[in-house]
Amino acid sequence: MEVSQIIQNLLNGLAIGSVYAIFALGYTLVFSILGIINFAHGAVFTLGAYFTYTLVVGQFENNGLLKGINLFPNGSPLSGNPWVFALATLIGAVLAGLVAVLIERLAFRPMRARGADPLLALVSSLGVALVIVNLIQLLVGAEIYNFPSDAYGQVQPALSFHVGERVVIIRTVQVIIFAVSLVMLAVLGYVIGRTKVGKALRAVAENPGTASLLGISVDRFILITFFLSGFLGGLAGTLVGTAFGVAGPYFGVTYGLKGLAVIVLGGLGSIPGAVVGGLVIGLAEAFVPSQYSAYKDAVAFALLFVILLVRPQGLLGRAQIQKV
Amino acid sequence: MGEFLSQYGFLIVTMVQAGLLGLSLYFPLQAGQLSLASPGFYAVGGYVAAILLTGPAFSGLRDSLGNGMFPLTWLAAALICGVLGVIVGVPALRLRGIYLALATIAFVEILRVVSLNLAITGGAIGIFGIPQAFGFQDRWQYIWLFGPLLVLTLLFARQLERSRVGRALRAIREDELAADAMGVPPTRYKVLAFVIGAVLAGIVGAMSAPFLNTWNAKQGTFDASIAILAFVLIGGSRNLWGPVVGGALLTAVPELLRFLADWRLVINGLVLVVASLYLPQGIVGALQRLRRTPPPQRPPSVAEVKGGTS
Repeated sequence: MEVSQIIQNLLNGLAIGSVYAIFALGYTLVFSILGIINFAHGAVFTLGAYFTYTLVVGQFENNGLLKGINLFPNGSPLSGNPWVFALATLIGAVLAGLVAVLIERLAFRPMRARGADPLLALVSSLGVALVIVNLIQLLVGAEIYNFPSDAYGQVQPALSFHVGERVVIIRTVQVIIFAVSLVMLAVLGYVIGRTKVGKALRAVAENPGTASLLGISVDRFILITFFLSGFLGGLAGTLVGTAFGVAGPYFGVTYGLKGLAVIVLGGLGSIPGAVVGGLVIGLAEAFVPSQYSAYKDAVAFALLFVILLVRPQGLLGRAQIQKV
Repeated sequence: MGEFLSQYGFLIVTMVQAGLLGLSLYFPLQAGQLSLASPGFYAVGGYVAAILLTGPAFSGLRDSLGNGMFPLTWLAAALICGVLGVIVGVPALRLRGIYLALATIAFVEILRVVSLNLAITGGAIGIFGIPQAFGFQDRWQYIWLFGPLLVLTLLFARQLERSRVGRALRAIREDELAADAMGVPPTRYKVLAFVIGAVLAGIVGAMSAPFLNTWNAKQGTFDASIAILAFVLIGGSRNLWGPVVGGALLTAVPELLRFLADWRLVINGLVLVVASLYLPQGIVGALQRLRRTPPPQRPPSVAEVKGGTS
């Protein structure tokens, strides 16, 4: 492999890996607090993309109950304005966060109140995912929508530089994805590491019983966690939709599964672990030689399988203490 | 009767098939092992049968064996899935709870991607034109295959539960360390339960390939893993009737809701949510509770939730 190719793969891998990371952070936050995996996270990812699509394009012409609706008869306000798109992305992520809060209230809290088997949470969150994905299909049809991938086209320049004879090209959207992910990680790191809210969150994650004795409203912090989780998931959905230019109802399924691989690789419940896991898997996929690209989707799971056998607690996870 | 069978025969057979797949997950669960590998073994079993029944390399064998070919596919699927079960099970069963579940999801996904890309599995198109078993004319006739398999599996499961092995499995489920200390080797029994589930799923796959006429990578997916888990948990995970009842009901729900047209899959999701919220012991567990007062339930402690259900 030539040097230029290595650099190109490295940069592509970092961009997609950083989306994996912020998506997987949503999983790992919920896992660290509740000890369950929210299988509806992939559906929230899809929702984030659809919310943004509705806000900027607002047209559903193909099929479904919303067929023929046009929110912007005078043309989309997007019209090449990256700031409008960025704002819509943010609102889309907030809406996805609110949906995650709703999921918590309706599907998880009643179960927790009853002390039910945590396995049932898997089934319940799968039911929620089914509801969301099929509602999307009902409303806007099963078709794949063209996502406004040119949203950042006006932002100059897409980076390109020479390495020897070859040109390395980085798309603007990749730079933006990477930058947004870094900002999100920094903000999240600050909130969890330095603020009072973060301290309370960590206390709840450590031991909900003790935390509630200390006057922390556990239920409220679980809601905050779900909001953050949904926000990150929805944001990742829009970013991926923008990068690849498409979104469909089953958009989130692959990411939902790869996100699992990411958090296990990094260490379940570990925030830095989700970041490292996301980058490792993104880079590993970017370096799959093109003649084997059909096997790319298996890379994450092969890594997951290997890491589980070699180091089950993940790269940065704490070892599970054996109960006696 | 004939009309009823031609209309609902496919559904009834699918319900029995779902119950069998539920049972394949129930066996490892008896030892407390949450394995979601069943669709992987189901897919492998189906591919084994599909290749044996359509592959040009086996045409001579087919000519000389005739209908005897079908039992041979079950045997081959059982053997291959059994060996694969040991190969995957021995390393994977070192993991507990959610980690084992994720490792088995990874196993299913890897199998899916590989089968999408191999020539022998027909790539993305899969294998089609699989001949009907024993020259069956109607789909409902597959009840003569799946029905006896279900009865045999239930009898086997009941005998297993009453045997020394069954007690060992329960001991491991309740407390692996204590079981180990009492001289019950956990690894051996866990692998045994895992392999029994794998063999069952493989045979069901081998019977399903002619039933469905075509076999492709869509047969073994993550969705199927979770659907089968839902069969067991909604039906009841502590009684061998649970997976059967859950599999049959959850397979029937989308059909029963057919009058809701486009809304049925949304309602199907809601059924899963409501059932897991209000029937924590599953349907069979709830029915049992109606008959007798249950032992007091201890809510899982945080440590257990974090460490996975070991």
